[in-house]
Amino acid sequence: MIIIDGAEGEGGGQVVRNALALSLVTGEPFRITNIRGKRAKPGLMRQHMTAIEAACSIGNAECSGLAVGSLEIEFRPGRVEPGDYHFSVGTAGSTGLVLQTILMPLIAAGKPSRIFLEGGTHNMMAPPFDFIERSFLPIIGRMGPRVEARLIRHGFYPRGGGKIEVVISPSRLAPIECTDRGQAISCSATALFAGLPFGIADREISTARKLLDWPDNAFAVRQLPEDLGPGNVLLLESAFEHVTEIVTGFGKLGVSAESLAKTASQRMSGYLGSTAFAGPYLADQLLLPFALAGGGSFTTVKPSQHARTAADVIAMFTGKRFEFEQLADGSHLVAPV
Amino acid sequence: MKPLVVIGFLGSTLDGSKFGPSRWNKWRPSVGITMQEDLRVDRFVLLHGTPHGRLAEYVAEDIASVSPETTIDLRRMDFKNPWDFEEVYGKLLDFARAEPFDPEVEDYLIHITTGTHVAQICLFLLTEAHYLPGRLLQTQPSRGTVSPVGEWNTIDLDLSRYDSIATRFAVASAESQSFLKSGIETRNAGFNGIIDEIEHVALRSKAPVLLMGPTGAGKSQLARRIYELKRLKHQVGGAFVEVNCATLRGDSAMSALFGHRKGAFTGAAADRPGLLRSADKGMLFLDEIGELGLDEQAMILRAIEDKRFLPVGADKESAADFQLIAGTNRDLGEAVASGIFREDLYARLNLWTFTLPGLAERREDIEPNLDYELDRFAEREGQRVSFNKEARQRYLAFAISSDARWTGNFRDLAASVTRMATLSPRGRIDVDCVDSEVARLRKLWLHANAVDDGLASLLSDEALAALDPFDRVQLAETVRICRASRSLSEAGRSLFAASRARRTSANDADRLRKYLTRFGLDWSAVAKN
Repeated sequence: MIIIDGAEGEGGGQVVRNALALSLVTGEPFRITNIRGKRAKPGLMRQHMTAIEAACSIGNAECSGLAVGSLEIEFRPGRVEPGDYHFSVGTAGSTGLVLQTILMPLIAAGKPSRIFLEGGTHNMMAPPFDFIERSFLPIIGRMGPRVEARLIRHGFYPRGGGKIEVVISPSRLAPIECTDRGQAISCSATALFAGLPFGIADREISTARKLLDWPDNAFAVRQLPEDLGPGNVLLLESAFEHVTEIVTGFGKLGVSAESLAKTASQRMSGYLGSTAFAGPYLADQLLLPFALAGGGSFTTVKPSQHARTAADVIAMFTGKRFEFEQLADGSHLVAPV
Repeated sequence: MKPLVVIGFLGSTLDGSKFGPSRWNKWRPSVGITMQEDLRVDRFVLLHGTPHGRLAEYVAEDIASVSPETTIDLRRMDFKNPWDFEEVYGKLLDFARAEPFDPEVEDYLIHITTGTHVAQICLFLLTEAHYLPGRLLQTQPSRGTVSPVGEWNTIDLDLSRYDSIATRFAVASAESQSFLKSGIETRNAGFNGIIDEIEHVALRSKAPVLLMGPTGAGKSQLARRIYELKRLKHQVGGAFVEVNCATLRGDSAMSALFGHRKGAFTGAAADRPGLLRSADKGMLFLDEIGELGLDEQAMILRAIEDKRFLPVGADKESAADFQLIAGTNRDLGEAVASGIFREDLYARLNLWTFTLPGLAERREDIEPNLDYELDRFAEREGQRVSFNKEARQRYLAFAISSDARWTGNFRDLAASVTRMATLSPRGRIDVDCVDSEVARLRKLWLHANAVDDGLASLLSDEALAALDPFDRVQLAETVRICRASRSLSEAGRSLFAASRARRTSANDADRLRKYLTRFGLDWSAVAKN
């Protein structure tokens, strides 16, 4: 039985999700203590419960200690059953985080699956749908499995109500080299808004336009049906031959449109100014598939605490450690050894 | 984990909103409950009236969207008048009785933030009475930010926090019931009875009261409470004057009690009103009244009977109207018999006589008084000191055992607590601290014993230590009689009076001499002291 101290490293819900995915793939049971020990409200929150329950239902797993606020659970995986699943996430949760928990086990499951996920699709503290669809899943596709995601309805915090469909055609994960972005193909800045004044999206776009040296036709405002709102995100997307980076600014009460757009634009400029293949969020997502592929490598800007914690958990289940090597141009080469 | 069920009213105002996206910028309690990341509601029983059916549906849809884990159970409950207590209580009681609650299988939270205040009160009452077998759920908007989520907390009426409130109510009501008892910690039934009686007497009579009992049994504290009680009832207006008669000796005793005129004696540089005068319209507490000289006793008697007395050196009498409470640890009846206390004064005092038991006879009161003394220490020193659990148990085990003699009664207990509280590291009395205090008390009482029976001045420490307790009491009584007698023969006659009466001749003096010799004592050594 693998025992994880949930308060170690970054110490958040990601440790739980990674452990669930790894446990289902490797068949190793685990116990995690001090769940989210460093957080203001420690223990499992509703969204983590949903992720655990999803893991239990696809993997015929048993979990003891499951309760809101629980500091310790024990998880015993069974056989992962591919098929059709439908999971709903409550207000604070994101569909992307549930997908993060169950995707790798279903990719390794031998038969196709189709999943409907309801809840937030563009929530803070989680990869938004656009990132999953156009930044993360294409890399998985290059490794072998085909995973297609479709956005049926947007879901913003706090209202939720979004829906996505993910179709998974499994295959072995092959190691690949991701060190070169290739030629720049396109770029776009889109301000999505629903149930809010047009001016908010407009101000985001004009701020981004000033900070990013992009052609005029790259900037757009998109109004979504009123009843999906309130909600607003600014999506900055930069597509290259081998990779697409998406930076998101999430609109929320108390944050001005200008400051949100400025932060997002600066982060996009930071990525464009480096030679690294993966931005920080993509790097976090790639660790698990690269470890399961057992090889390959990618470059990224600077490994986050998130990434280092994820690497530690991965090592506990797979024995594979990651090496983070700083290169001459300041980027880091990440490879399982 | 048991499923969680929330029961609450739809708030027709608080849960209401515009039908549009802006509703998500408003705190709606019923929706907010289901948006908490650390609260998972499995079923929500939402009570609403027919006119609010549309709002209920709307709120239910929003709950479904933010909380797919929640099953919504809309219940219609119509009131003719939602402000009518009887109707609301009755309908909610019917609801509670009909609902198949099973606390073994489900947890229940009763939401009291929505609904009329009458509904809130009824929900509270039904929860307190366990008709609704759950905890109260309270929600509120987040402070400082606009959030549709808000905050939540629960109140468990069965838990200790509520108990402490209930205890405070109990204390308050006991206080109005018996003013005297509050401040005097007791669980002793006999003592309780005495206090009740004193309270009765104090409120109905102005006659003197005599409190008997050993030193430190709480006579002075009780006298002060009687005074406060009478003052509260506007029966006395003047001051409370307390005198320990053992401290009044010789010439100054008269002057202290009854005052003097300027120039009455050397050093009488100015008029002095005296303690009786100070107690005018108030209360005079004469503690250890048995120690008062015979002359003063006569003056006091006259002061009680005529409310008049003559200050030293004055040619005109002074007047003072006071209530007298006398305290003594002596048997005044015996003092009268041996001629050291005036019979007429005793008769005057012996109308309302109460005997307070010593702490050793009220061992069940040691624990409450321990807390009381800790409180007093905190008040006095501004520092709250407490026992750790083990230390408290150990101290109490000793305190209520027969090893603890409590010869100084409450004075011993107060001193003991003060010592421990002062010596405790970081405001926590631990086992070590208790152990050394227990040793200190044992030593104190061993010593007190020697002082009491007067043998310490006659015998060396070694000789005393070698004495069996059995012999010790015998010797002590013998010495006492010797000292009260003029000669060895007189002492012998008193000591062997019974056998003398049976047998016509006996040499009592010789028998006594031989007895004393056994302890290395003779008549002159014993009588000298």
